[in-house]
Amino acid sequence: MEDALLRIREVSKHFGGVYAVNGVSLDITHGGVCGLVGPNGSGKTTLFNTILGLHRPDQGEIYFHGECINNLAPHQIYELGLVNAFQLPRLFYDLSVLDNMLVAARGHQGDRLFNSLFLRRRWQEQEKGLIEEALDILELVELDKWVSSPAGELSGGQRKLLEVARGLMAKPTLLLLDEPAAGINPVLGKKIFQKLADFSHNGITFFVVEHRLEILFEFASWVYVMDKGRIAIAGQPQNIIGDPTFYTIYLGEE
Amino acid sequence: MDPLLYVFDLIVFIGIFGIVSLSLNLEFGFAGLANFGKVAFFLIGAYTYALLSQIGLPFYLCLIAGGLISAIFGLLVSLPALRLRADYLAIAVLAFGEILRLIVKSEDWLAGGDWGITVSSAISLAGASHRVDALVNIALVYFCLFICFTVAQLLANSPYGRAMRAIREDEIAAETLGKSRAKFKAQALMLGSAMAGVAGGLYAQYLHCVLPGMFMPMITFTVWIMVLLGGPANNWGALLGAALVEIFDRGTNIVKDYFVLPIDPSNLQYILFGALIIFVLLYRPHGLLKESSIKTKALRLAYNGRRSIKNKRS
Repeated sequence: MEDALLRIREVSKHFGGVYAVNGVSLDITHGGVCGLVGPNGSGKTTLFNTILGLHRPDQGEIYFHGECINNLAPHQIYELGLVNAFQLPRLFYDLSVLDNMLVAARGHQGDRLFNSLFLRRRWQEQEKGLIEEALDILELVELDKWVSSPAGELSGGQRKLLEVARGLMAKPTLLLLDEPAAGINPVLGKKIFQKLADFSHNGITFFVVEHRLEILFEFASWVYVMDKGRIAIAGQPQNIIGDPTFYTIYLGEE
Repeated sequence: MDPLLYVFDLIVFIGIFGIVSLSLNLEFGFAGLANFGKVAFFLIGAYTYALLSQIGLPFYLCLIAGGLISAIFGLLVSLPALRLRADYLAIAVLAFGEILRLIVKSEDWLAGGDWGITVSSAISLAGASHRVDALVNIALVYFCLFICFTVAQLLANSPYGRAMRAIREDEIAAETLGKSRAKFKAQALMLGSAMAGVAGGLYAQYLHCVLPGMFMPMITFTVWIMVLLGGPANNWGALLGAALVEIFDRGTNIVKDYFVLPIDPSNLQYILFGALIIFVLLYRPHGLLKESSIKTKALRLAYNGRRSIKNKRS
């Protein structure tokens, strides 16, 4: 596992006396979709937030591309190519759908104060290209009719879609998705996963939390099952399905 | 007194406070920073102008220096302030403004203490009438206003402004999308302070003096009313707010000169301003003008000619 994209070693994070994440180690290799499942409160989102730099781990190390990212700020972690789509969408609600996408655009020259004032030509051309990319992604998630509406006018499911689309816009090497299909109709939910699979051919790796197991297990090549802050089992989806512990974790003790 | 001079005076005041209003709009309207210490940077600009003009520097250098020194203080304040939550930031910078005022008030050696410093006119034409003097002032103030407005508009309609608004909306999300909130907030405070500093210099120059009493916290709140009334995140709104508030503010002063009233209308003003803030926040929380959308060339093409772009591609 030398070439793991993301390597997590013995990471713990506690809030007061509660260990939300308790000694988690896992590896994510390049390419494909990797799943993370587990009952509510098992620490999945806390693990994601710790990877993103929103929480600092109490113990353990997180490596991305072999570099320790424990002490990096979230915006530095973004620069390395690790991006997230939140479980509860955190959109910029007063900005238009397209502007939401463009905030995420990587390497926009106009993000710099000096360029925005004095080198307007330089980024205006670039922005045209970025908008094309954004429109392509918005089309995939069927939001292309809403490009100019404020994100605050979107419905719950559409917000979720925009959150995922914004993550894709950031051209990550690893995209963390926290329940991308929750609150979205089954047909579109499955379609999103199909699109994600397409994107994974283009070099994006996905690490996905999802409760819709039937969709996740169809697309994931490896699944981690979390319970009470620990990785309980890990394996290929077909093996996980056959594992009796998995049912105990999900459906409770007999 | 010449009634036309009242009008000229009003125009100058609208210009000077238009700049301050734009600067607060940049910080609060776009970047979401509740700067309740605006008057501090106004004061720094004014005192820098006064002290430097005393040693004989030409007025434009004094103005630029006022802006620069104010910007440096803006950066210094941003360092501890950015670790604070919005409401604590407001308290911290409010205190900063008052501390600064008390320093210039009590340190006689520095800035003349309570007596302040007398400032000579920037451009004095020999034998010019008051009217011509006022017109020269208007030209100077509106030249500076024009520059500040252009900068504010360019920023508002750029990816940089988009990132600032994103940080205002949700700084955690913006941070995970690669926008360093520390950097953007520090830069917003620097730019805003620079503008306020220039406005302070113009103020000192126009009133021919600086006194600690000119920089009471009420100035900050007046500027806040301008921004809230005009419409945060809209530069035209900031100017509109400045104009309305100044017409009201100077208007009551003019009324005072012509009519004998049983009360001093200047004191009544504070009550009315308070009522106005409550009224605006209750009934027009977005101000008179709503937030301006981001306009870049590429966005305009995308919104209007969406189909034509797509057809060209396919």
